[in-house]
Amino acid sequence: MMTKKISDSIRRVDAVDKAGGYTQYISDMSFDELHYGRLVRGLRSHARITHIDLPALPDGYYFITKDHIPEGGKNEIQQIGTDWPVFADDEVTFYGETIGILVGPDREKVLEIERSISIEYEKLEAVFTIDDGLAMKTGLINGTNNTYADYHLNKGDVDAGFARADQIIEDEITTGFQEHLYMEPQGMVAQYVDGDYIITASCQCPFYLRKAVANVLNTDKEHIIVRQAVTGGAFGGKEHFPDIIAAPLVVAARVVGKPIQVVFDRKDDISFTAKRHPSRGIFRTGLDKEGNIVAMDVDVTINAGAYMSCSNIVLQRAIFSINSVYDIPNVHVRGRSVATNAFPSDAFRGFGAPQGIFLAEMHLSHIASHLGIDPASYKQRYFISKGDTTITNGLMHDEVKLPLMLEKAAEASDLYEKQRLYATGSGKGMGVSFYNHGAGFTGNGEKEIIKARLRMKKHRNGHVDILLSNVEMGQGLQTTFPKIAAAILEIPMEDISCDNPDTSIVPDSGPTVASRSLMVVGKLVERASQQLKERWDESPEVEVEVKYIHPEGCQWDQETLQGDAYPTYGWGVCIVEVEVDPATAEVETKGIWTVHDVGIAIDEMIVHGQVNGGVIQSLGYGSLEKLEYKDGRFYQNTLADYMIPTSMDFPMMSSQLVDNPYENGPFGAKGLGELVFDGASAAFADAVQQAIGKNINRIPVTPEYIMEVMNS
Amino acid sequence: MSTITFRLNEKNISLEADPASRLLDLLREDLGLSAVKEGCGEGECGACSVLKDGVLVNSCMVPVGTIEHCSIETLEGLRETDEGRCIIEAFADTGAVQCGFCTPGMVMASIALLRSNARPTLEEIKVALSGNLCRCTGYDMIIKGVQLAAERGDGIW
Amino acid sequence: MVKTYRPENLQEALRIRRETHAVPLAGGTDLMVRYRSWAGTLPKFPWPVLFINHLTELKTMGLREDGLHIGAGVTLSEIEREMEAPQALRAAVSEMAAPALRNLGTLAGNICNASPAGDAVCVLYALDAQVVLTSLSGARTVSVMDFITGPGRKDLNDDELMTDIIIPHANFSHVSYRKVGTRKANALSKMSFCALAKTKLGRIDDVRIAFGAVGPTVVRSWETEKKLLGMDADDLKDHLSAIHDDYDAMIHPIDDQRSTAVYRKQVSLNLLDQFLQNLVKEL
Repeated sequence: MMTKKISDSIRRVDAVDKAGGYTQYISDMSFDELHYGRLVRGLRSHARITHIDLPALPDGYYFITKDHIPEGGKNEIQQIGTDWPVFADDEVTFYGETIGILVGPDREKVLEIERSISIEYEKLEAVFTIDDGLAMKTGLINGTNNTYADYHLNKGDVDAGFARADQIIEDEITTGFQEHLYMEPQGMVAQYVDGDYIITASCQCPFYLRKAVANVLNTDKEHIIVRQAVTGGAFGGKEHFPDIIAAPLVVAARVVGKPIQVVFDRKDDISFTAKRHPSRGIFRTGLDKEGNIVAMDVDVTINAGAYMSCSNIVLQRAIFSINSVYDIPNVHVRGRSVATNAFPSDAFRGFGAPQGIFLAEMHLSHIASHLGIDPASYKQRYFISKGDTTITNGLMHDEVKLPLMLEKAAEASDLYEKQRLYATGSGKGMGVSFYNHGAGFTGNGEKEIIKARLRMKKHRNGHVDILLSNVEMGQGLQTTFPKIAAAILEIPMEDISCDNPDTSIVPDSGPTVASRSLMVVGKLVERASQQLKERWDESPEVEVEVKYIHPEGCQWDQETLQGDAYPTYGWGVCIVEVEVDPATAEVETKGIWTVHDVGIAIDEMIVHGQVNGGVIQSLGYGSLEKLEYKDGRFYQNTLADYMIPTSMDFPMMSSQLVDNPYENGPFGAKGLGELVFDGASAAFADAVQQAIGKNINRIPVTPEYIMEVMNS
Repeated sequence: MSTITFRLNEKNISLEADPASRLLDLLREDLGLSAVKEGCGEGECGACSVLKDGVLVNSCMVPVGTIEHCSIETLEGLRETDEGRCIIEAFADTGAVQCGFCTPGMVMASIALLRSNARPTLEEIKVALSGNLCRCTGYDMIIKGVQLAAERGDGIW
Repeated sequence: MVKTYRPENLQEALRIRRETHAVPLAGGTDLMVRYRSWAGTLPKFPWPVLFINHLTELKTMGLREDGLHIGAGVTLSEIEREMEAPQALRAAVSEMAAPALRNLGTLAGNICNASPAGDAVCVLYALDAQVVLTSLSGARTVSVMDFITGPGRKDLNDDELMTDIIIPHANFSHVSYRKVGTRKANALSKMSFCALAKTKLGRIDDVRIAFGAVGPTVVRSWETEKKLLGMDADDLKDHLSAIHDDYDAMIHPIDDQRSTAVYRKQVSLNLLDQFLQNLVKEL
């Protein structure tokens, strides 16, 4: 019997096995006659391949290229688009594009062969930055203007708003690349057994992987079996990128007939996997005599790289986040995802929202500082409320508890007293950010694209299986899903299993992305559990299947990007206190306070774990994680040079929750995995600008950049 | 190849190995001790932490030729001991485990710390874990796990 | 496959060194990264390797007449805990890498690395440290600054081993060590600064100032230090900007993946100014 609240913390089901080192990740698993694969990459930013000089291969060693794609198969990976080829097709369009895959049983031998492959190129011109891409400096990479998408959002009457403006504030704000740095590098094993392809992968989306390679192999999806291996962190980096490894690997598996492992070394993982999109926001904001915003015009661009991947969906979220928690009158946002010869950017926790929120939070802070008003107070003027119109002209359905959340965060951090004590430019500063995150897929994606299904099965012995395709990657789903079921079925957690998905066994409940799993799929678990409970005594074995139901009253037009972009939002307030060293411009973070509204926490300890991890990852993004693209490649490409936070970089944080149940989430829960990343970098940057008394316009806010700003 | 003789998890062991090879590979591949993880192979992440003669080292940095006559302890040899169980249980209770890939290394770093300092301060815990990177937790709950293990482990450490 | 040697004692190590020129490996924390290869394959050392970390002759540390002797096999952790080691050295060592690497890495290895960014090297310059280089023909002692001849270059004959580091006795009333790293821990340095001074009767009696990672080797100027000797508070105050300018002319950092030349230079001079201004107050 449940005697406790759903939010009361329980021990994670996977904790002891993981802490004891019993858990096997992909690189720990044994396969008979395992072969090893190395991707042979085009180490040019843009070049035509003129010749590949391959040494004579010993027996049992293979160099697999596009010529090995089975008959009828296509040299294209099915993602949202199909532009990313499995193997570079005569031309390398970014540094690190796959040309072939070298396979063999002995790794020393494979290395030896790799060293003697020589590839000749004819150099072509390349562009790497948003501006050079837009200027089409080297001609067309994509479409007619080197963008993958060019969106416009209009709310109110922007021209009329500007006509009333007393002054106009202009701003240009940018964000950089960010590496996921999941602790377990990319890895998978593929084998071809009796006509079936079996892919065992560290991944977020088993059914994405299946779809990605089906056309390459020219085979029915049923013959492709994807098994998720325990996944050692992902953060979006194992959403689409595993497709890029799996596609050449399955082609090789068919030829070689043995299981083949590809596990990236860390340096390869940093050098040759997708990153968070760099972004830029150019703002023009009109203010009336009282300093109120009368109109805002924003140009948002993101560096998408050489292939589209999911950049346009990232861009949508970025532009929808430009007003995040604010109801601002008369807004126009243009958004473009720009094609360049940079490594294609891809999903990363927050999926465009962290960029959009950072750009807008900094701009609003700059306006406030310009007006001599404390940014947090200024921003409060524009807090959106229930019933207000969103930037996509949808309706804010949620009750918005931001004022209460700010009050709690301010009290915990002693915000107002410290603001009084720390004069602007005193070297000490308090930064505040406000943010929300639309939970689940954009618009009607759940209804039109994902169409999630989920099964639950009661066995004769009373044991229950939850069959779904969402993966445990650290966020706790294998604890929270059974916890929901146990609470409804009123049976012990131990009697419920929720195993790593295998696409030949589980229904497609969708990918593990977009803060959708607990809210959308968890709701299916809740509904299936209710049905199973009702039918429990029907027969010794009972199986129920449930399908996604779209929330009533949520309207969306994907063509015009108008309506309710998300069914609901998680909300957050983050306060950061910093002290800047006058001699070195190093920043000491003295305190971090957050308050989040995640609906109802399914498990408080898991939620606080997400908050802590998300906030620190965001602070890394905002302060340490410099990743430059230099000479057409990532410059900080080792763990000695790409800096993520250690245990010593930030203080222990305070995190609070407010309840705000959402009827379409299980027990009232909303999505939160990305929310908790979205705002801390802006709070950090805001704190630094209060401390130094000058505007910050980009992240990461490194000491080098602070010194540059202080000198200017 | 040479014969390497050392003590592994309290047992004497002698085997053929290339002295230039990494202890990490010897443990994982030749001896099947997969609690030792490779997160970076450059001494930065701590996922491959083991104890060499009682002190914490990154096994990716240790050539097999340098462990002759040494004692090597991995999580496999510690997880069933009072020390190992104390940390593992504490980690489970404080929410210190998420994706789990860094966790075996964190457990090893915690054991190394508590063996030499049974009542560490917050700062000492942070220093002791500073070579073990975690991307999921933000560290607070791991730190709390070490504090809890110190508290519960009176007499063990 | 590369040949490796594991000598039983120092004498045998020196013999192998003479006969094969095998490269000594103590902690391995540098060489194992530099020559690492694919997981599951051997590090690709370009020369034979001589393991020396187990040699007891190299593991001693203690005070002698000419100063503190630190054996080449002594780990950074052991130095960190050594109460007899100078404060600045212990500070520098305690901020290098992370505990597990400090348990492997050695000061001798750090010196032989000859990296201008080697944190401890900056302090060793300021401490006038010396190294003992031993071969079958005997031993010679050279100062650390003469030993390191450029980035990655050193005065080590291919039959020699570094066996000892000697830190001459000295007392300082003012010790400042600052590492500006890429983050708060487990970091490489963008620059490092070590300043040591002794005052006597209100005047500067001894002063050493060294900057790491701001040039091909550590920057230290005897000429400028000599100018400072004998100054009292007023003299120093009058000369602050001249001293600042002296170092300004000497410091020529570069841009790289960790920091910028502009930042490195400005931080160096800021830390110098801070040290000297404090000295003015305390003289």
